[in-house]
Amino acid sequence: MSYQEKKTIVSILTGILLLAAYCIYTFSRIQSSMASLEDVKFWATAMLMFIGIGIVASIIIQIVFHILLSIAIAIKKQVQNGKCDDTEIERAIELEMVEDEMVKLIELKSMRISFAVAGAGFVAALISLVMGCPPALMLNIVFGSFCIGSLIEGITQLYFYKKGVKNGKEV
Amino acid sequence: MARKFRITNNIRKLRFFANEMTQQELAEKAGVSRQTIIAIEAGKYSPSLELAFRIADAFGVKISEAFDYEIKTEEAGKKE
Repeated sequence: MSYQEKKTIVSILTGILLLAAYCIYTFSRIQSSMASLEDVKFWATAMLMFIGIGIVASIIIQIVFHILLSIAIAIKKQVQNGKCDDTEIERAIELEMVEDEMVKLIELKSMRISFAVAGAGFVAALISLVMGCPPALMLNIVFGSFCIGSLIEGITQLYFYKKGVKNGKEV
Repeated sequence: MARKFRITNNIRKLRFFANEMTQQELAEKAGVSRQTIIAIEAGKYSPSLELAFRIADAFGVKISEAFDYEIKTEEAGKKE
């Protein structure tokens, strides 16, 4: 498994954890009657809070992942070569973490799918408002579509890493 | 009539003739990841012109010796 695939899996897991944490937090609040679907301020606060937590958690998890991966590469090098210096290990880490044109193309293609999901979610949210659903539901649909879009982006990336990405043109 | 272009490559053969150059060594010379070289070799990814030149340069050959293309027509499904 390549570095990019591992990084994507870590991102997907982080996204799933955050979405689960958001669901647990909001459901527990609703069950304890501390919030309702009419309380838009509560939902906006919860979403803002989880956006903040999400950013901080992603940064921390990525840092921890890179540290662990670097340690793993260093240990692997030591085992393979018996003894090797720091520059050799640093070079091995750099080579492992190369971001080239294929990675960028995969990121672009998967991001397009993610935006499409988020866009569809936004339209669905507007439709829910037109149909007379509470505004909190609209907020949740928008928030959920962004989260699911992000997860689909990761899954699409994994798919492209496994199956390859083509620029096939028809004329 | 729809025609499909398919990029083919001789990277495996060129690696063999370059003293069985490893994919990692080629990746280092071309400035990409090993994953990308694997994908190109397997025909799962068509490199940019710049990368194609870099790969050809890593073997010291012309780009046409490293890469080629096939045109397939949708009706016949045969090479032109």
